[in-house]
Amino acid sequence: MEKEKVKLRIYGMTCDDCVSTVTAGLKKQKGVIDVKVSLKDGTGEVNINNKEVKPEELLRNEVFTRPSHYKAIIIND
Amino acid sequence: MSEPEKFDLVIIGRGAAAFSAAIKASELSNGEMTIAMVGTGPIGGTCVNVGCVPSKYLLEASHSVFKPAHPRMPGLHETEVKYDFSKIMEGLRSYVSHARDSKYVKVIENYSNVKLFTGLGSFLDKKTVVITGPDGKEVGKVSGSNILIATGSHPSIPNIKGLSNTGFITSDTIWEMNELPESVAIIGGGAIGLEIGQALLHFGSKVIVIEAMDSILPQTEGEIREALKKELESEGMRFYLRARVSAVSRSGNWKSLDVITHKGNEKITVKEIIVATGRQPNTEYLNLERVDVKTDPRGLIITSDTMKTSASGIYAAGDCVSKNMFLETLAAREGVVAVSNIFGENIKIDYNSTTWAVFTNPQVAGVGMTEREFSKMNGSCSTRTFSLLNLTKASITGETEGLIKIVVDPKDNRIVGMQILAPNATDIITEGAYAVRNGYTIDDVISTSHIFPSFSEGVKLAAQSFIRDISKMACCVE
Ligand SMILES: Cc1cc2nc3c(=O)[nH]c(=O)nc-3n(C[C@H](O)[C@H](O)[C@H](O)COP(=O)(O)OP(=O)(O)OC[C@H]3O[C@@H](n4cnc5c(N)ncnc54)[C@H](O)[C@@H]3O)c2cc1C
Repeated sequence: MEKEKVKLRIYGMTCDDCVSTVTAGLKKQKGVIDVKVSLKDGTGEVNINNKEVKPEELLRNEVFTRPSHYKAIIIND
Repeated sequence: MSEPEKFDLVIIGRGAAAFSAAIKASELSNGEMTIAMVGTGPIGGTCVNVGCVPSKYLLEASHSVFKPAHPRMPGLHETEVKYDFSKIMEGLRSYVSHARDSKYVKVIENYSNVKLFTGLGSFLDKKTVVITGPDGKEVGKVSGSNILIATGSHPSIPNIKGLSNTGFITSDTIWEMNELPESVAIIGGGAIGLEIGQALLHFGSKVIVIEAMDSILPQTEGEIREALKKELESEGMRFYLRARVSAVSRSGNWKSLDVITHKGNEKITVKEIIVATGRQPNTEYLNLERVDVKTDPRGLIITSDTMKTSASGIYAAGDCVSKNMFLETLAAREGVVAVSNIFGENIKIDYNSTTWAVFTNPQVAGVGMTEREFSKMNGSCSTRTFSLLNLTKASITGETEGLIKIVVDPKDNRIVGMQILAPNATDIITEGAYAVRNGYTIDDVISTSHIFPSFSEGVKLAAQSFIRDISKMACCVE
């Protein structure tokens, strides 16, 4: 297993419920190890097993696809 | 050293590709994505300022002068239209300024998430762009996890002896002109040269086109470009094909061109020279080597069909991208594709069903593959070329010098290409685009209702010509 940290900018979050929805959505995805979402920064840190999921696949998670109004991009510092 | 201002997306350029990308990104993120748009020159880039918009304005004005003087129906008298060229050019500039304001400047003001920076952008590293002012001094730095290069192109100037001393105009500078030149030599017989050439011809200039290849518009089907050339010649345009300008000089108010043709050398003397020999990408100052963004030998940026460059996190769109068609519509689409993929959507650019056009009168428009391209790829192909002589609408208006060519895959009758020479080819080609994009067959076109009498009916008749002899057909046969 190759553990990789992926940083996301997440758009469309307005409250703690949004944080829970996005976190739960990401956690369901195969290959996701853990998720930390910040409402204040509009970001998320996702640890993945990159043998099972590619960083870009996180962006196609159900929580980021219509009719959901959340969207994300990958940001790297 | 100043710290870069951070953004989610940095866009270098502020033309069609940049605007469509910024607007799409804003829509996808509900206006939350922070975007830096770094650009030089007037907002809106080539299309609105020095490209599509002024050229179509000039052509329309010129047709309004030309057509009444050349009526095509019996009983209509030749009518000379009085006009003031400098006022037409004033009107053109004022329209451009209105279009720039309403379609670009005011539009972007509505997006508070987009911050405009004026200056030339170049890469410091894969995430940082340095902005320099006209004096070459740094005016700021911006950084982003994703960067879109949308820097467009500019006219390329051939290396001809005496050209810069003699003086010439290009599609960047012609819009400042106030006096109609009595005669012009246009170097280059591509879309831009022919459009500007016919506009000036219709106002009354003598126009000579000098082209290095053996035909005008080499991307078009042979029949179509030959028919267009014949029509332009009948209006008085002169062509030198397979000809090269070796030197240029000035004598008083006249400009002379030494032209090497296959028949020998000739000297052409005119009032003005227009250079329309193609365009080159604005990639020179971007510092692309520093960030490993690969370019082709022409300096165009190589991308995948998802608009990704060879460097991760860096995308490109518009006229700076390595491809065969350079269009506003394509620039805008590529901007959308790039941004959608930044959001993980995995969409691809489809060049094959992209429509292109030349706005001469008659217009030329096309989509998909030519006969030669499809045959080369597939080994065989089936085509029909329908003449507007057989189209009722064209016979009524007297505009019969046109053709519609359809290329079909003989395996299943799917339409794989269409080219049209007709007064309104740019409007009716969309039917070809639907057909190519969705894999429609000639039977799909035949069984679709078309208005009689109309030019669009010509597309249906062109499809019917695969199954019967159109010249022997009554106009009501389905
Ligand atoms: C005369 C003419 C007629 C045309 N007619 C048509 C037509 O009828 N239909 C059609 O579809 N297409 C037409 N085109 C083509 C169309 O105009 C272009 O394909 C389109 O405008 C390209 O858009 P773009 O965003 O890629 O580039 P541009 O619009 O050129 O924008 C690029 C911008 O980036 C800026 N820039 C360049 N380098 C840098 C840098 N390093 N840093 C910051 N900024 C930079 C430039 O100044 C410019 O503002 C025509 C073109 C011409 C010249």
